[in-house]
Amino acid sequence: MPDYKVLLRYRELLAPFEADQGDLLAALHALQHAFGYVPPDAIPEVAKKLRMNASAVFGALSFYSEFRTTPPPQNQIMWCSGPACRLKGGDNIRLVFETVLGIGMEGETPDNEIGLHLGQCNGTCEAAPQIWYNGAVRGRLQVADAVELARRLKAGERDL
Amino acid sequence: MASYAELRKAADAAWAAVDRPQRPYIAVSIATCGNAWGAEQTLARVRAVVQARGLECDVGVTGCNGLCFVEPLLSVTWPDGVRVQYGKVEPERVEALLERAIVRGERGGELAVGTLRGSVAGVAPIEQHVFWRGQVRQLMAVCGIIDPENIDHAIAAGAYQGMARALALSQDELIKLILDSGLWGRGGAAFPAGRKWDFLKVARRTPKYIVCNADEGDPGAFVNRNLMEGDPHPILEGMITAGQATGAEIGYIYIRDEYPLCVARVQQAVEQARAYGLLGENILGSGLNFEIRVVRGAGSYVCGEETGLISSIQDSRGMPRIKPPFPANAGLWGLPTNVNNVETLANVPLITRNGADWYRQQGTERNPGTKMFSLSGDIARVGVLEVPFATPMKSVLYENGGGLPAGHALKAIQPGGPLGGILPAEGINLVLEPEPFRAFGVLMGSGGLILCDDTTCIVDLCQYFSWFAEDESCGRCTTCHGGTQRMTEILRRIQDGGGRMGDINLLHLIVDTLRWSNCVHGQAAPTCVQNCLKNFMDEFLIHIQERRCPAQVCRGLIRYEVIPERDTEAAAGAAICPTNAIKESSGHYAIDQGLCIKCGACKERSPRAIRVVDAMPRPRVSALPEQPLPLVAAPAPAAGH
Ligand SMILES: Cc1cc2nc3c(=O)[nH]c(=O)nc-3n(C[C@H](O)[C@H](O)[C@H](O)COP(=O)(O)O)c2cc1C
Ligand code: SF4
Ligand code: SF4
Ligand code: FES
Repeated sequence: MPDYKVLLRYRELLAPFEADQGDLLAALHALQHAFGYVPPDAIPEVAKKLRMNASAVFGALSFYSEFRTTPPPQNQIMWCSGPACRLKGGDNIRLVFETVLGIGMEGETPDNEIGLHLGQCNGTCEAAPQIWYNGAVRGRLQVADAVELARRLKAGERDL
Repeated sequence: MASYAELRKAADAAWAAVDRPQRPYIAVSIATCGNAWGAEQTLARVRAVVQARGLECDVGVTGCNGLCFVEPLLSVTWPDGVRVQYGKVEPERVEALLERAIVRGERGGELAVGTLRGSVAGVAPIEQHVFWRGQVRQLMAVCGIIDPENIDHAIAAGAYQGMARALALSQDELIKLILDSGLWGRGGAAFPAGRKWDFLKVARRTPKYIVCNADEGDPGAFVNRNLMEGDPHPILEGMITAGQATGAEIGYIYIRDEYPLCVARVQQAVEQARAYGLLGENILGSGLNFEIRVVRGAGSYVCGEETGLISSIQDSRGMPRIKPPFPANAGLWGLPTNVNNVETLANVPLITRNGADWYRQQGTERNPGTKMFSLSGDIARVGVLEVPFATPMKSVLYENGGGLPAGHALKAIQPGGPLGGILPAEGINLVLEPEPFRAFGVLMGSGGLILCDDTTCIVDLCQYFSWFAEDESCGRCTTCHGGTQRMTEILRRIQDGGGRMGDINLLHLIVDTLRWSNCVHGQAAPTCVQNCLKNFMDEFLIHIQERRCPAQVCRGLIRYEVIPERDTEAAAGAAICPTNAIKESSGHYAIDQGLCIKCGACKERSPRAIRVVDAMPRPRVSALPEQPLPLVAAPAPAAGH
């Protein structure tokens, strides 16, 4: 059971949503937008509000790769897995980030400072191969650029 | 309530203010592609410079006209109506451009891409720009021209005119009009839109639903995004008309999570349309009711499949299910539903506004109209364009797109998304319509065209698409989730140098088995592998028998080494190596193969001193069975996905 204040916050966020209207994704997005993730203890509240089983809410939540149930890393590297990026060596860029930072895809450093997340092509392939660092495009990367970015992150720099 | 004519009059006046402005009007193209190149900073810089220097001009935004390769884009319209498109207007170039164009009134210059209207000495009309040539821009007519956040601009450009006209038609007349136009679905399956609407019309239960599929999950396809960001109203208009034709009163637009700007613009368009009485109850006083809700996805490819999309909207895991029943009989909440792609719906207003005969002027008898394509991969100009059906693919990719990087040859073309398949190089001679692609066992698909040059490894490309299918499988069918996993493993094994001759037959077996999956995701997942086993068998054999990757991509088959004669020149490479694998000893460098992860960073920094060689140079020869054994007969793929 979450703290009462937190519970009220959940209810406030969930207020616009109704049962049987196709609101579940929007409700989960609202929570994730507010907290950076969907707090697991909010699931029963979502279930109550949308008149669903908590297990069904969790089932849906766990299906989608953009929802997370743990706090997000302070800084996120989203790596584009798309085909144009791959043709231009994107896979080596992934390898370099994983190696230098010592984390796997969808992993986070133990202090949760940096995380790696698999992204999908959003049609900015002109910038291939690319990553999105905290949402901003870092494009036309050479593998060596990726090594440098990763090293700077590892050295504690956050403004890339 | 305002009539269409009244709305149009007010809209024309609002549009005229920027179309024939009193003073220069600067519009920055704000779209996902432009923002990747700093368009938002460009806009901020324009505002700052205009304010700081007190320039006599106004500033606004547009969507993108498809020229992704010269982002950030900015246009200026002068009081005499001349409009010039500028490209590569990075924030640091803004001041000089404004100084020139606004202060000194010089309209040309090196950043000018073309004139959108009127003439300027030294600047060619945009229609003569190589990227524009041969395009027929009906859907994209005002993308990059109007402000997509301003409904007046859309109305002045003709939005809702077709809908207003259609309000006078009966359901049957409307469906006949769409059938006559020959419009078919752009989402991949190419099913006639009018027939699908008719299925929904005759369905008895209510309420009925119209769903707009804006999931655009195919990586490399970004044509729907261009429309939603550049001109969202015709999509809503198409949905309303679909509602009128079929008796549906509720519409959903399902937009993928990766497109937040589309979500914002479409949401705003819905609100503006509602405020104008173009959406909601009693539309334009006609008695027609139609409401639209926007749903944002959350990162699942199979939610683009229509039954997956339906389950995703109705609060559950977005898992596709077996068809029939088709959505027209059992869709959202089990009720009759019609799913159409964004581009399909955006075509509808063109037909209601101009008639079926007009619409048929473009394209061919079987494939009337135009199609948008997004070009990417190993191509000079990445962008979005719109051409009539049956335009030669070669002219689109080589002329508009500018072809391959210098010195490289074409290896393959990947159209139609991960499930679409891979065309061999001779496929370049196809024309852009579905039938010739089918003859190659490939789907033309929703609009992505990815060019692959000779640096591409076919096994690696197959592995990528196989991995994608595996990663996105919803997990319902064992054939699909197990089959794609097995297929990926086998391809990885071949890439790692552990391929066996039996793997070819195993891959054939998996290709056949996957055809038994519930939905098209699983059924089409092996298309790439199937195409490549046919067209690129040599390359598979070289990987397996000779343990060599001709394109030097597969990490298990290559090795980086310092060229012995130049082993004193690898300092930069050694410095960048992420694993410190390059060891120095009295000025001589060598790579410790035990530490090397084969990332290639060193070769970028010390290209003279480091080279890639085959890791396993011994050729191993074993005979391939003449014909792969037939294993199971494939069922006919389910119709109408
Ligand atoms: C795995 C899979 C993904 C799909 N993704 C999309 C998509 O992103 N957008 C789309 O319009 N259609 C997609 N489709 C096709 C839809 O199922 C459906 O055929 C289409 O939305 C119908 O619209 P149309 O008749 O206007 O083409 C996908 C199909 C499959 C099997
Ligand atoms: S074929 Fe694949 S994606 Fe389609 S229902 Fe089966 S498991 Fe899910
Ligand atoms: S390929 Fe990468 S890991 Fe190997 S030596 Fe070069 S830089 Fe180091
Ligand atoms: S492939 Fe990376 S943005 Fe399209």
